[in-house]
Amino acid sequence: MTPLVETEPREIDLEQERRALERVWRHPSGLVGWLSYTTHQAIGMRYIVTAFVFLLAGGVEALLMRLQLSHADNHFLTPDRYNQIFSTHGSTMMFLFAVPMMEGLGVYLVPLMVGTRNVAFPRLNAFGYWMYVIGGLFLYWGVFTNTAPDVGWFAYTPLSGPQFSPGKRVDFWAQMITFTEVSALCVATELAATIMKMRAPGMSLNRIPLYGWSMLVQSFMVIFAMPAVMIASNVFLLTDRTVGTHFSNPAEGGDPILYQHVFWFFGHPEVYIIFIPALGIVSSIVDTHARRAIFGYPAVVLSIVATGFIGFGLWVHHMFATGLPQVAEAYFTAASMMIAITSGVQIFCWLATLWTGRVRMTAAMHFVFGFVAIFVLGGLTGVMLASIPIDLQVHDTFFVVAHFHYVLIGGALFPLFGGFHHWFPKFTGRMIDERLGKITFWLLFVGFNLTFFPMHILGLKGMTRRIYTYPAEMGWDPANLVATIGAFVILCGGIVFIGNALWSRKNGLVAGPNPWDSGTLEWAAASPPANYNFIHLPAATSRYPLWAAEKERVVVTGLRTDRREVLVTSTMDAEPHHRYPLPGPTVWPLVTAIGMSFGLIWAVFQFSGYYPAIVLGGIGLIGWFWPRRPAESRP
Amino acid sequence: MVAALAVLLLSSCAGPQQSALNSAGPQSGYIEGLWWLFFGILSAIFLAVLALLLWSLGRRGDSARPPLEQAHIPPGETEHRLARTVGAATIATVLILFFLLVSSVSVGKALANLGEKQKSISIELIGNQWWWYARYLNDDPQRIVVTANELHIPVGRPVQIRGTSFDVIHSFWVPGLNGKRDLIPSRITTEWIEADHPGRFRGQCAEFCGLQHAHMALWVVAEPEDQFESWMNHQLAPAIQPSDADTMRGYQVFMSNACAFCHNISGTPARGQVAPDLTHLASRFTIAAGTLPNTKGNLGGWILDPQNIKPGNHMATINLKSEDVQPLLDYLGSLK
Amino acid sequence: MTAQRTLDVSYLPDYAISDQAPLWWGQLLLTFIEGTMFAILIAMYFYYRLRLDIWPPPGTQLPHLALPTIALVLLFISCLGSYRASEAAKSDNRPGMIVWLIFNLVFGVAAMVVRAFSWASLNFTQAADIHGSLVWTILALHSLDAAADLLFTVVLIIVLLLGHNSPRQRLGVHVDSIVWYFIVLIWAPLYVVVYWGPRLVGAPQ
Repeated sequence: MTPLVETEPREIDLEQERRALERVWRHPSGLVGWLSYTTHQAIGMRYIVTAFVFLLAGGVEALLMRLQLSHADNHFLTPDRYNQIFSTHGSTMMFLFAVPMMEGLGVYLVPLMVGTRNVAFPRLNAFGYWMYVIGGLFLYWGVFTNTAPDVGWFAYTPLSGPQFSPGKRVDFWAQMITFTEVSALCVATELAATIMKMRAPGMSLNRIPLYGWSMLVQSFMVIFAMPAVMIASNVFLLTDRTVGTHFSNPAEGGDPILYQHVFWFFGHPEVYIIFIPALGIVSSIVDTHARRAIFGYPAVVLSIVATGFIGFGLWVHHMFATGLPQVAEAYFTAASMMIAITSGVQIFCWLATLWTGRVRMTAAMHFVFGFVAIFVLGGLTGVMLASIPIDLQVHDTFFVVAHFHYVLIGGALFPLFGGFHHWFPKFTGRMIDERLGKITFWLLFVGFNLTFFPMHILGLKGMTRRIYTYPAEMGWDPANLVATIGAFVILCGGIVFIGNALWSRKNGLVAGPNPWDSGTLEWAAASPPANYNFIHLPAATSRYPLWAAEKERVVVTGLRTDRREVLVTSTMDAEPHHRYPLPGPTVWPLVTAIGMSFGLIWAVFQFSGYYPAIVLGGIGLIGWFWPRRPAESRP
Repeated sequence: MVAALAVLLLSSCAGPQQSALNSAGPQSGYIEGLWWLFFGILSAIFLAVLALLLWSLGRRGDSARPPLEQAHIPPGETEHRLARTVGAATIATVLILFFLLVSSVSVGKALANLGEKQKSISIELIGNQWWWYARYLNDDPQRIVVTANELHIPVGRPVQIRGTSFDVIHSFWVPGLNGKRDLIPSRITTEWIEADHPGRFRGQCAEFCGLQHAHMALWVVAEPEDQFESWMNHQLAPAIQPSDADTMRGYQVFMSNACAFCHNISGTPARGQVAPDLTHLASRFTIAAGTLPNTKGNLGGWILDPQNIKPGNHMATINLKSEDVQPLLDYLGSLK
Repeated sequence: MTAQRTLDVSYLPDYAISDQAPLWWGQLLLTFIEGTMFAILIAMYFYYRLRLDIWPPPGTQLPHLALPTIALVLLFISCLGSYRASEAAKSDNRPGMIVWLIFNLVFGVAAMVVRAFSWASLNFTQAADIHGSLVWTILALHSLDAAADLLFTVVLIIVLLLGHNSPRQRLGVHVDSIVWYFIVLIWAPLYVVVYWGPRLVGAPQ
């Protein structure tokens, strides 16, 4: 069954194929056309830009919080407003920025990196994006109408239940979760299918780029973790609040602690869902800018997979103060410490790579260095938190706030910014300004440490979380003031970055396909890529196909250019199996999303709104799947 | 960075102690010791990783490196050396983590064994939005003390806190004495505290519980055995009767307004159970769950406009006639 | 014109009506998602049960078993339709696909109708107590899943009847079978939990 591989180079006519592909993959025009795009680059970029806007929104909320906390007994914000702001800040950052940003980056990069033209399910991709945007706008409609959630990003019952949180704030939060979780599940499903079935011929499992492995593991984590948050938000909260169920009501057999179990069964994997893609970004930057293959590829892959598994076994460490049986708690301490090993192995492998590579200190590499410093510090405070006696002192204090910002900003945001600087030429066709990039880094690095390092001390000195003010005699003023100043330094870094990105898009040095001389396949496409990515799909003859000599490289010919066709390969060894046509642009995913959203939003106010959600969603899906083109309805 | 750390850590020794690094009892003492052990070992690791990271920069200009085309994968010998190093680092990580795990579990066991000694006291602590109800348990019902927001404990005797909540989840936390324990409606959680020297230790609710979570503090006053006994006996006594016309007037203001619906003053018709017990209000040194010092001015400000001090709290705003305010404050001030 | 080593795939078929199709994997992952959700609900049932002394809570009538058991059997029979339709899809047998999809639909709908009637014997609502909340949540979510897939089957039948018979439709029939197997298979433990739970783990006996 193995097809012939031409051993002698063959003359192939690129121009004719290019013209055909341009025609078949062309974006439709007009507003309706724009709403119908199903190419992964367009949708991926939409996710990235939208998520960035939410990052800014979350940042504004953070600045407001820091202003309120900058000194004792401040009256800048009322307690109600503060509670809404911190809850919205957490929810925005976790659900509307971090996960969608990582997903969107994956949507953009994964097909390029595995050498195909689009994700496996292009319409699902579009649908997922629309659900995300609608969900985010829905939450912010609440924010601007005094209906923002005010019970924290995790909304513990009974505080969030019908008795203590009347009104619609918590319902808005719970339904926003539905939108974002559906979106994440759509992306996870299509990325997992793409990585497993649509890789370049020859890209066996042990040749998948580390970023691909991290997105594969992350996708499976999303699949197994998101149902739990759906139950926590829709079953525990929405039904308790709207149709009188008793999941959190002890008087009728319910239990508020079970809410915590179910929420954190999602919540802990959630942070790895955010963090694991960042590990892949770091590997991509390090191998390119240290100009050597990542040391210890098998160890890194195993570590990523192990992190994914172990991440599901840690959730109780968020609940050490609830008085659970000691034996159970000891297991969770051990597991929470053990996961430091898997992260540690990866750090060691990167250090080994940096030591024996030829490091170019580009802006992207600066962010990798910042990542190591900040994330490792955060990981080490995580080891402290794993210890129950220590946790019982610092849980729910600013020490924890410091810890998770160190691991999330260090572990996810710094790699993301590194990734932005690294892939900017691929996204835009121009080089981002390196000097401004380094200034961005220093502002973010210094600002971050100024903001969050003092919080370790504040926590140890007794400052609890989620308080809108504190008394002057506690002596917490100086550290809080430093933290507030740091937050504004971070703001400056953000402004420099935005300015750099906007300026460089128009005025940066024009970039070719592979300005960094990287080895992975996304750099074989044009900068920016055509809608079809490659005229001929590349084959992968090693882990770093582009580092092979020009004459050693292989491309795939024989895919049809009169329809959007991709190659499906076998799961383990990526041997070509069959060709598969992908759908073109269509507005049905948007129609379905709007129909379902209409019902879901109605359901926040009246439970019966779920019926129109089902009906309208069903109509949308029928339109979506109905055979339309001649090519789809006859053999 | 270290200097900043020192400054920040030491800068507020003068204020109320709510620091986990200022332990005043065996439980918090064990935890503080464990913390410093973890801090020492983990800081060393952090500095080592940082050093390795920065050192890699120094190796950039090494001109003995092979040229670019061959540099993508170093010679096998380098890779073997790296493998041994990474392997060693991983093993070291595992061993250190194991050591920390064992330390942590040992301390946990030691803490568990500190409780349940002879001569302990049990206090039932119930979290409310946004104050603390406390009841000193005793087999003899005549010796049950009920108070709010300020606990007195004898030095050197273990005290069991049996906690629950009447509404949402709160968390009892007095860092000077022990870690925190959540107060969960319909469950009882227990924790042992013990002070090894006299002092006042501030605590604060540590589980977000709504609008005034920020203003739900409590005080634990540790005193020598004899002072504690006299405090208990004093708390057991019914409220001091008004002794002059002024305090009599204040008593009548209290009883004729809504105050009596929520608050309890033993020995009077005020038997409300949903607000802090005021029988010995004047013996406490703060009001409104640790929010303000207990002075006449603060008490007046609180009663006249509770929403100004703790917006959203459940205390009704009573419309008092201006001539009733002073007598009321005098009466309440007499409830020692 | 450029010189390049090439791998020619033009001879490969388009579409694979098998587990090599990305869509098959997508549907499989969907069953993982739904399966996790139901697994959590089952775990929740036992968590709540273990915290109470009386189960089901006082006033709850034990659900009758006859109708739900009949519905369970009907669901299992309907799987035969899915299987045969899927095999027909692989061998490009349009009449076979239509007939067996209708078989699947008839038994699936019959099971749902019997289920709806069985609900009459449940003398509690979701607002009665935790047992009521659990039972109705499980019933609602599973019924929604089943109804959605049956509706999809109806659409597939109509599309086939209208004459469309491309590999895309056949792939659709093939992958739809996985979802239906899952819906039936996951119902087995849910059925045991909902209808036998009070009898197997109830107290006092």
